[in-house]
Amino acid sequence: MTTVRDGTTLQSSVRRWLHHRRGLLIATGLMVLFPFVVSLVVDGQGISAVFANDEGNARFLQGLAIEIFILALYALSYDLILGVTGLLSFGHAMFFAVGAYTFGIMLKTAELAWPTALLVVLAVAILQALLFGVVLPRVKGIAFALITLGIASMFWIVIQSSDLSDYAGAEIGLQGIPAPARFLDSTNERFVFYLITLAILVMVYMLYTRIADSPLGKVANAIRDNEDRALMLGFNTFWFKLVVLVIASITAALAGTIHTIHQPIVTPNVASLGYTVTALLVILIGGVGTISGAIVGAAVFRLLQYYLDRWFGGSSDLLIGAAYVLLVLYLPYGIVGTWRVKRLQIADGRKRLAALFRS
Amino acid sequence: MTTATSSPARRRSDWFKENRNRFTTLAILVFLLLAAMSGVERDDWFSTIMQGLSVGAITFLVASGLSLIFGLMDVLNLAHGELFMLGAYVGWTVYTRFDTVVDILVPLLILSAPFTLLPLWRRLAAAIGSTPLGRRWAGLGLLAAGATTTFVSVTRFPLVIWDPGNFAMSPSNFSVQIDLGTLAPLPPDTFGWPAVIAILATLLGGSLLALGFNVLRSQIDERTVVTRKHLLGFGVLIVTAIVLLAVKEPLNEWVFGLSTTWRFFLAMVVSVAVGSAAGALIEVALIRPLYDRPIYQLMMTLGVGFILIELVREVWGRPEFTMSRPAAFNGTGPGCPGEGLGGFFSGCSTLEAFGSRLRVYNEGFVILAGIVVLIGVTLLLKRTRIGMIIRAGVQDPEMVEALGINVRRVFTMVFALGSGLAAFGGVLAAPSIGLGTGMGAVFLLSAIVALAIGGLTSFPGAAAGAVLVGLLQQIIIRYGQSGINLPFLDEPFKPSPTLVPAAAILLMIVVLLVLPAGLFGRSER
Amino acid sequence: MSLLRLDEVHTFIGQYHILEGVSLDVPAGDIVALLGRNGAGKTTTLKTILGLTPARKGTVQLDGQDITLRRSFDIANMGIGYVPEHRAIFADLSVEENLRIAERNKGDLAEREELIFGLFPDLKRLIRLPGTNLSGGQQQMLAVARALVPDNRLLLIDEPSEGLAPVIIEQMMEAITRLSEHSTVLLVEQNFIVAGRLAQHYVIIEEGKSVKAGSMADLVDDDETIKRYLGAA
Repeated sequence: MTTVRDGTTLQSSVRRWLHHRRGLLIATGLMVLFPFVVSLVVDGQGISAVFANDEGNARFLQGLAIEIFILALYALSYDLILGVTGLLSFGHAMFFAVGAYTFGIMLKTAELAWPTALLVVLAVAILQALLFGVVLPRVKGIAFALITLGIASMFWIVIQSSDLSDYAGAEIGLQGIPAPARFLDSTNERFVFYLITLAILVMVYMLYTRIADSPLGKVANAIRDNEDRALMLGFNTFWFKLVVLVIASITAALAGTIHTIHQPIVTPNVASLGYTVTALLVILIGGVGTISGAIVGAAVFRLLQYYLDRWFGGSSDLLIGAAYVLLVLYLPYGIVGTWRVKRLQIADGRKRLAALFRS
Repeated sequence: MTTATSSPARRRSDWFKENRNRFTTLAILVFLLLAAMSGVERDDWFSTIMQGLSVGAITFLVASGLSLIFGLMDVLNLAHGELFMLGAYVGWTVYTRFDTVVDILVPLLILSAPFTLLPLWRRLAAAIGSTPLGRRWAGLGLLAAGATTTFVSVTRFPLVIWDPGNFAMSPSNFSVQIDLGTLAPLPPDTFGWPAVIAILATLLGGSLLALGFNVLRSQIDERTVVTRKHLLGFGVLIVTAIVLLAVKEPLNEWVFGLSTTWRFFLAMVVSVAVGSAAGALIEVALIRPLYDRPIYQLMMTLGVGFILIELVREVWGRPEFTMSRPAAFNGTGPGCPGEGLGGFFSGCSTLEAFGSRLRVYNEGFVILAGIVVLIGVTLLLKRTRIGMIIRAGVQDPEMVEALGINVRRVFTMVFALGSGLAAFGGVLAAPSIGLGTGMGAVFLLSAIVALAIGGLTSFPGAAAGAVLVGLLQQIIIRYGQSGINLPFLDEPFKPSPTLVPAAAILLMIVVLLVLPAGLFGRSER
Repeated sequence: MSLLRLDEVHTFIGQYHILEGVSLDVPAGDIVALLGRNGAGKTTTLKTILGLTPARKGTVQLDGQDITLRRSFDIANMGIGYVPEHRAIFADLSVEENLRIAERNKGDLAEREELIFGLFPDLKRLIRLPGTNLSGGQQQMLAVARALVPDNRLLLIDEPSEGLAPVIIEQMMEAITRLSEHSTVLLVEQNFIVAGRLAQHYVIIEEGKSVKAGSMADLVDDDETIKRYLGAA
């Protein structure tokens, strides 16, 4: 929230904030109403059906929406690393999987209460970011991509090896994870969980847009555009990159945690290179470096995946691959990026038009 | 700066300094060998090393292409593992189901025939008009029409193919049959349309596609003329297709009567050809438009790999299956196993040497093929003009272009060469590791590790790194079987085989952190 | 009769507008020096002529033919040799390979051997050595020699004297004078004394625009222009 300066009342600054964030507030409101609308219009049930957790489209679509929120959180954190800071990491799936596995193991094997488990996840996420951070000063560009790919592949190999099957469940993954609390239970209290996830996504999104506009975000952009110049300007780029990694790691681990509660199964798939590619695809659809593109991209990607799978079955992955290739070739700025460029052009055109009439 | 040359003594010390990394590699290798020999029983060390070299040879075939492509074009081709996989599947098909290959080849030849008349399409494309937006839509429309026509007409051609859902017709059943020697051509299918109409429709589809691609090109070129050479190419393709159609049945009978050894050699040739063609196509159509956007290029190769996996799943099915070893490396019975290194030529499947039992195919033929490729590519790079251009291009492609050399064409050629090598690796590996859609990822990872260890752009580095990775993996497997005594564990630690690749990755991370440019790579000055 | 003609050329590198209108004429058989401060756009001008950084606006004509939109290798094959700055020779290739790679037809090198080794006798002695083992001066000689292998009508030479010892500069100037008997030269040179002695004409580029051109003989006496565009003479 903006600071209260002399001569401005708290009220006016709140109003300014509301105006600034009106798009987000409207979207959030619509998302809160969404299950009720579906319940009324599509299912023909009453509003109470949403609270009663009744079977139907409303409940199913809430589940799909929760998956989109999780994917959006995960993609947001990748956009912060790749889009805002320009670090090409091929190990991002590990950030997500570490959160998912840690939380699951803490609940199932260690039988911890969920707040404690969450604290453990937080600690592990920070530790893992530091592990990735250790290599930062030594390698750049493609070598960094390879090292992150290497670390993540090792994690993927280790997590599904039979040596750890007592904890991580080898190739089958973690199953039978208990629900952490009454309100953190996607099966029995879906609407509550839906609201919680939505709230988390909105808060993280606001935090990320703040970060992108903050001095940290500006330096991150400078690192992306030209790291040597950022160094010459006197920034110790290592610390900035490390902070970015820590934030992204915590966000992705949080997404993994929610995934564990929602599913409640964790398979080694979420640690594979394919899952990193998913994050890449999502921010590519939305627009690399645009922050909000991650959410748009997550929605488009998950819905596309769901409907293609329904219509084409096994061939749907092929179509997704083809869509990906076309996107890289013809829509490199993604949906949000392209929209911003077009909006600038339209504004530009309007200005020129106005100038024409004035003269 | 002086024009005087340095003294011999100084030059010698320079030589040591320059080759320091090679000595380091050598030292690590020797250390690994000693470790292998001391850590396991006496009669095992030789086979462990040979197995390591075998895995190293396959890894090298993937890594060499990867390194050439990365060196010249700065493209880390993440689809390279899938080209390896494609080579294996194509090789299996030629080896096991030659009749399907002929059936597919006929429409493919007809489809590609119009593309030989390039100048014609360029002229027509130039006539279409020059507004960029109009050209774009016209091009996309032509492509869509061409794709539809092609799809409809090509599916009307006779095609006998396997069916993964039906065991009697599944790839795994065919693999068993070829091993037993009971495999025969399937009864041929018939045309869905009258043959002439199907052929003409396919020609039309190919023409629309060729025209569409040329309309989408940004360069307008109306100077080109159709020469006799182009017409000859067109004619050869059409005539070949029709002849193939006519002699299909006797040809199939003949090929199925050949020994599996000959069919394996045929499979290798076709795999390399298909792999190269696929590589060239990928470079021209998908990588080339992105040379000024490197990150997108990387993403593109990732997507191409994904698509290749899905394509293979569509065509060959998801279940994994095997490929039998060619007859020359599969003999059993009296006189087997062979004695000593001469046993490689005995026709037996195994031989005894230095107290170890080796598989002739895995530990003999594969290593031999790897060495042949190593020597061949080294000669190509050192002795030919194209090799000279590649070496120069690795350092400064812009300057090579400024000398009047069409660097883009060299890029395409190297991409094709690298893809062909990967495909060769795939068909070589198939008889020993089988076929599955995950095989590409495994070897891509190994190859990347090998490259990172050897130095990303160094061809000898790729070879050394691949051998290191192969040896390391096999030695760890050996160690894992007997157990490793760790100071903090009561019992010896026995890593499961799935953990083995992790060791190689660990080595990569260590090497990259100590020497970011790898053992053979030149650090940026 | 001008061999090369640039007309209001604009070049962008990425989003940066580097050349904002460069026009120049290179008369056949002469040496033209391209002068200007660091970062004025001299090197980009040479690269634009070769199509390495293609012009977005304006035209480049070689011998009356429009070559603006052609591919670089195509332009080079019309008879343009390029000697880039910082002696961009191929370090992994031997001296001989560095020369041989520039051949457009088999036998080019054999044909021009006498001229090349006459100008740079050192290179003949070092023919088997890898490029990376040459000294700076030798590398510069090799870079010039490489442009002489095919029969070029026009040579684009970028900063031939940069970072060289005076003795070598002398040798390099001698070589450029001799090779201008065979082909036209467009020379980028920071060292005004070198440029003044070699070239018959000059073009001054400032902030991406060609601002002044004329005969070198006039410029040598024009202290005000020198001070204004080139800094202290």
